[in-house]
Amino acid sequence: MKKKIKRIFSHSEIYLFFIIIIFSIILTSINPSFLTLENLFDLIKSSAGMGILAVGFFIVLLSGGIDVSFTAIAIAGQYISANVLMATGVDNIYLAFLISCSVGILLGAINGLLISVFKLPTLIVTLGTLSAFHGALLAFVGTKAINTAELPDCFKVFGHNNIFVLTRADGTSYGLSVYALILLGVVIMSWLILKYTMLGRGIHAIGGNRDSAVRAGFNIVGIQFFIYCYVGFLAGIMGVMHISLLRYSNPMYIVGTELGVIAAVVLGGARITGGTGSIIGTLLGVVMISILEKNLVLMGLSSYWHQLFVGLIIIISVSITSYQNKRRGIRSLTFR
Amino acid sequence: MAKELLEVKNISKAYTGVQALDNVSISIKRGEIHCLVGENGSGKSTLTKIIAGVVKADEGEIIINGRFYQNLHAIDSIREGIQVIYQDLSLFPNLSVAENISLNQMIERKSKLISWKDVTNTARTELKNIREKLDLGEKVEDISMASRQIVAICRALTQGAKLIIMDEPTSALTKTEIDSLFSVILDLKRKGISTLFISHKISEVLEISEKVTILRDGRKVGEYSIDELDNDKLIFLMTGKKIAYPRFKYKEKEHHEKMLLEVRDLSKRGNFENVNFKLRSGEILGITGLLGSGRTELALSLFGLNKADSGEIYIDGKQVKINSTQDAVKLRISYLPEDRLSQGLFIEQSISNNIIITILRKILNRLRLISNIKRENSINKWSKELEIKTPSLEAAAQSLSGGNQQRVVLARWLATNPKVFILDCPTIGIDIASKSNIYSIIRDLANAGMGIILISDEIPEALQNCNRILVMSKGRIVKKIDDASSITEDELFNIVGKKELNKVG
Repeated sequence: MKKKIKRIFSHSEIYLFFIIIIFSIILTSINPSFLTLENLFDLIKSSAGMGILAVGFFIVLLSGGIDVSFTAIAIAGQYISANVLMATGVDNIYLAFLISCSVGILLGAINGLLISVFKLPTLIVTLGTLSAFHGALLAFVGTKAINTAELPDCFKVFGHNNIFVLTRADGTSYGLSVYALILLGVVIMSWLILKYTMLGRGIHAIGGNRDSAVRAGFNIVGIQFFIYCYVGFLAGIMGVMHISLLRYSNPMYIVGTELGVIAAVVLGGARITGGTGSIIGTLLGVVMISILEKNLVLMGLSSYWHQLFVGLIIIISVSITSYQNKRRGIRSLTFR
Repeated sequence: MAKELLEVKNISKAYTGVQALDNVSISIKRGEIHCLVGENGSGKSTLTKIIAGVVKADEGEIIINGRFYQNLHAIDSIREGIQVIYQDLSLFPNLSVAENISLNQMIERKSKLISWKDVTNTARTELKNIREKLDLGEKVEDISMASRQIVAICRALTQGAKLIIMDEPTSALTKTEIDSLFSVILDLKRKGISTLFISHKISEVLEISEKVTILRDGRKVGEYSIDELDNDKLIFLMTGKKIAYPRFKYKEKEHHEKMLLEVRDLSKRGNFENVNFKLRSGEILGITGLLGSGRTELALSLFGLNKADSGEIYIDGKQVKINSTQDAVKLRISYLPEDRLSQGLFIEQSISNNIIITILRKILNRLRLISNIKRENSINKWSKELEIKTPSLEAAAQSLSGGNQQRVVLARWLATNPKVFILDCPTIGIDIASKSNIYSIIRDLANAGMGIILISDEIPEALQNCNRILVMSKGRIVKKIDDASSITEDELFNIVGKKELNKVG
C-alpha cells in the first residue's frame, strides 16, 4: 500500500493536479464566477481543440520524435474543407470532417515518409513542413478569410451542438458542447492504442531505446509512419472544431500556437527526450495552459504574459529533464 | 537427444582482408557453463554473432540440437533457443520490469493486442523460475544494473532459451552483484540451460566456468576444463606469451622528492570519503579497486568533473580549487577517460584535429587565428612521438584501431604539457602489443618528471607499472602499498577482493 502511494507521488501528474487546484482556488477568490459549471463547460469547449492537438503531439514526443507542423496541418484541413464545402454547395459536417482528416492524414504521411523511410531528423523535417504546408496552402488554395455569412451552416450548427443543456435562473440556457465528446473519444482511442496494442507499446519502446526496439523486432518504419499520420488525422479533427467554434476561418490562424501545445505536453510530464509521460498528464497540462491563458487578464496581467509563460514553461520543463538525466549520468559516470 | 547442444565446426570469417576467425570450433553441452575468453580483437564477438545468426560465416558448419545449419539465420538461432544478452542489455528504460520481460515474446507471437494479465504472469513465472524477486511494476531505469541483468535473463527465458550468451555481463556490476549473477547462472545450469559467458576477467572465468575456450587473433588456442587452468596459465594462453615486463622503479634521487599533488581528506557524498594521498614528481601512483570503489569518481574530482564536497587539494604545495575542467587544465592536470570513444575522442573528426583540440590557444598566429605552420608542427611532433600508425592524419579518428586511438588521446593531453596526468584504465580494449607500447610511454613520462596516476582494474598492470598503489573499496582507501615491488600479484588480488569472489558457487 505504502509503495502504491509512493508510486502515485512519483508521477509528476499529481503535482500538476494540485497546482491546478490551488490555482483555481486563487482564481475563485479573485472572481467567484470562475468556479461555476458554466465556466467549466466554456473552458472544455474552448480548449478541446488544443487538447486534441496535445494528445497527438504527446504521442510523437513519446516515440522520441517532435512534430511542430501539426498546426499547419490543422489549418490546411480546416481551410480546404471549408472551401470545398462552399464550392460544391454540400452543407454536411461529416463531409467537412472527412475532407479535413484526409488532408491531415495525407500531410501527416508526408512527414511520416520523410521521418520513417528516409530517416531524417524529426524536428528539422517538421519545421520544414510547417512552413511548406502553410506556404502551399496560402499559395495554392488562397489567403482570403471566410467570414461568418459565407460559412456553410453545418459548421455553425455543429459549433452550437450541446450534449445537454442547463437553464439559468433568468431563463437563458447554457450547455456542455459536443466538443467534450469528441475530445473524450480521441482520448479514449489514443489511450487504448497506447496501452493495449503492440503498436502502442512499440511507440513507448522506440521512445525508450530505439536500438533495443529494433533488436526486439518492432517495425520501426511502420510505427513511425503511423504516428505522423495519426497526428495529421487529429489535426484534421481539430481544424473543423476550430472553424465551428469561431464561425470564421482565416488561413493565417492556428499556425503559431504550436508552442502553447508543446508547453502543455511537457508541463504534463512528458519528457522531451521521449519514452515517458501520460495522456492524463497531457490533459492536465492543457487545462493548466488554458486556465492561464484565459485568466491572465483576471489577474491583472496583459495577455502577452501568456507568451512569456509558455516560453518559460518549456525551458523549465526541459531543464528539469536535463537535470534528472545529469543526475542519472553522474550515477553512471558519464558526462554531458 | 544429443548431449551437445551446440556444435560449431571449423568456422572461418574474414572482414575485408582481416581474418576475424580462422577455423574455430566450439561445442557446448546441455547445462554447461562455458567461458569464451580472449583479448579484444581475438574474435569473440564475431563468433558470438555467427552463433546468433547475425553474421554469416565464410566457411564451417553449425549444429544445434542435432540439426545441421549451413546458413544460420537469426530467426533459426532464436527458434533453436539461442539468446544473446548484449552488453547494453537492450532493455527499455521507460517500461516496467514485467513488460521488459514479456515484450519480446509477444512480438514473436505476433500479437496485435496486449493482455496485461499475461504480461504480469509471464514475468512472474520467469522470475520465480530463477528464484529472483523484483518489483514487476517498477521502471527499468529505476532499478540497479544487476536487476536489469536479471530482467534480461528472464526475457531470454521467455523465448525458450536453451543457451544464453552473455557478452561481458559483469563489466558494470559490483562485487556482490556479480555474486548473485553467478548464482543465477548456476540456477540456469540446474534447469539444463547452458551459458556461454564471455569475459576477459581471469578471476571470474576461473570461478564460474566448467569449460573454457580460448581465442587468440581469430584462432582457437584450445578448449580446457577448468581444473586444467590457473591464473598464469590462462593469461599465457590468452596472450600467447609470458608477460614479464620489468617492474617500474621510482628514481627517487633524480626528482628530489618534489611534491606535485597532495590530496587531504577529500570527500564526496556517495562517491568517496576521506581520501588522502600524495604524488611526487616522477612517480606512477596506481589506484585500483573494483568497479564502484570510487576510483573513477575520485579521478573525475581531480579533473573538475565531479566537484568534491570537502577536503583540500594542493598543487606544488599551494592549495587550489578545481571546480571545472578549465581549472584543471590551467593547473596542468590532464585526464585520460576510461571510455575513449564517448568521452575522449571526437570520433568523426580527423586525427589531427583530435590532437590539437586541447592546444588551440597555443597555435594561434599574430591575428589570433590558427596558424597553419604551428598546427602542422604540433601534429607532426605528436604523431611521431607516439608512433600513431595511419595512412593519413586527416582520416577520421574512428578509422584507427583501439591502440592507435588511445595514442591520439594521449597525444592530445601530452600536448598540453601536463604536470599531473591521470590515466583511467588506459589499456582497456587494446591489444597486447599496443599495451606494452602505452606502458613504456607512461614510464618515459614519469622518468621525465611527470606525476602519473594510473587507475586500473587489472592487478598485473598496476603492479608492473606503479611504484606505489592505493587500493580503494566502497569509496575509501583501504590499503596503501608504498613499495609495489614488495607485494605479489596474488597478495594484491586478495586485498582487492578475490577472496570474496571465491566464496560463491
